[in-house]
Amino acid sequence: MEYILTVMVLIGINVILATSFNLILGYGGLMSVAHPIFYAIGAYCSGLLAIHLQIPVPLSILMGAGIAMVLSFGVSLPSLRVSGDYLVIASIGFQLGILHVINNLEFTGAAGGLTNIPVLNEGPSRSLVFVLLIAVVAACAVMLVGWIVEGDYGRAITAMRNDEEAFSALGRNAMNIKIVLFAIGSGMAGLAGALYAHYFAYVTPEQFGIFTSAALLTMVVVGGAATTWGPLVGAVLLTTLPQAITFLGLPVSIMAPLQGVIYTTLVIFFLFARPQGLTGGTRGGGGLEAWSASAAFRARRDAE
Amino acid sequence: MSAIVRIEDLHKSFGGIVVADDVNLSFEAGEIVGLIGPNGAGKTSLFNLISGVIPPDAGSITLEGHRVDQLPMHHRARIGLARTWQNTRMFHSMSVIDNLLIATRRYPGESLARILFRRRSVDAFRQQATEKAMVLLERVGLADKMHEMAIELSYGQQKRIGLARALMSDAACLLLDEPMAGVEGQAYETIIRVIREEAQAGRAVCVVEHNISFIRDISDRTVFMFNGCVLASGSVDELTRDSQLTDLYFGGEHP
Repeated sequence: MEYILTVMVLIGINVILATSFNLILGYGGLMSVAHPIFYAIGAYCSGLLAIHLQIPVPLSILMGAGIAMVLSFGVSLPSLRVSGDYLVIASIGFQLGILHVINNLEFTGAAGGLTNIPVLNEGPSRSLVFVLLIAVVAACAVMLVGWIVEGDYGRAITAMRNDEEAFSALGRNAMNIKIVLFAIGSGMAGLAGALYAHYFAYVTPEQFGIFTSAALLTMVVVGGAATTWGPLVGAVLLTTLPQAITFLGLPVSIMAPLQGVIYTTLVIFFLFARPQGLTGGTRGGGGLEAWSASAAFRARRDAE
Repeated sequence: MSAIVRIEDLHKSFGGIVVADDVNLSFEAGEIVGLIGPNGAGKTSLFNLISGVIPPDAGSITLEGHRVDQLPMHHRARIGLARTWQNTRMFHSMSVIDNLLIATRRYPGESLARILFRRRSVDAFRQQATEKAMVLLERVGLADKMHEMAIELSYGQQKRIGLARALMSDAACLLLDEPMAGVEGQAYETIIRVIREEAQAGRAVCVVEHNISFIRDISDRTVFMFNGCVLASGSVDELTRDSQLTDLYFGGEHP
């Protein structure tokens, strides 16, 4: 029972992460893969604040999310100058750079990780209460993103993603939208990280690397980029799938790389066979048009 | 007449290729300027320089009295500049009406805070913009297409949507890049009428077009560009009488 509840906590965390990543990558078309670093910033900041400054855990969680929100400038500012493939590179640099710092600082626990993080709630039904809490937060995350991308603001986001130059030439400010999308998306990732830290009481730097970027990307792509329910479906599927594989009883030497193989295979399969993802419709917004945007942009440039 | 746009000593080169070589031009209110020249003469580049797609190396651009050559694109657009694109550049996952709404001067969805706290003004802005968009679609003869996806219309229809989109913001200066490409039949008359009406409303209009008879029909003044230079200015007939210019246009021997 405890195991199932723990998996459900992970599902909830991943729903928040994938949903917020979808806001940036799917809807915004902003090719940043650094999403896990804001997850890390939320987890570490909240954990450290609670450990060293004895800040009450609920407050430290909110502060962790807030710090992640502020530090999102680290990616949103480069995104004003570079886009597409170049932003991928810049965001990887940002992610690995901060991860390197965390890996080498004494007070973050270095490579060994941060331990003894105070937990949010205790008691006999602690996991059940936490699952309910995370379900509420995840539902709010899905609804918040749904609210942002519908209506007038969503129309502007779509237009910016479709053609940023034409969008700017019509007097719209793309810079504001990028900063807002990164801030909200990263703040949500920070919140997920803080919740994680105060449930498991332990985080390590390796949880927030490129592999996690790939996992989140897979969730968004498989579920359906730029759709409301896609990241949710993707997160549920790709959190439970690796757990299911552990029951196969394969040796560790096969198990470890298997996860990466599955993610890669899924992304490639969906890219070719169903770019709109599991939940995406036949047209409009969904899927991986974002990935082809920079290529289309260059082709158009060359043509003019 | 007063100059809406004044370009002085504008220079831009990409490596060895000069796309604007000390260009001096001005567009007056109510005037339609035709911009002609062979491919690669720098016509679209001039539009890109004025609208801010590319920064100039030297020189100045003044729009309604404001120095704009260092300003970002959206800033220039808000001062009073609107343009269309050679290849239409529709927002491809959006409907025709949504394409137009993006271009309105007071966009309802400019910020999330406004949507959250000033519901009523947002609704009013959307209402105004929608009405304006309908009128414009009517004027370019595509009112029945408003809910279709812009990308699914024909090239000529997209050109007309692009024109309508550029008219959404009531800009003082209109830069139209080949508005006639792909446009046939009745739509030809429609576009001429719309452009004339906009000029009569006091806007400065500059049109790049390869269709010389269209330029002759519509422009008050025609400017001939070659290799980034403004070589001559006058009526189409004056320019076409100059055998040197026609040679350059049609790729004859260089002078």
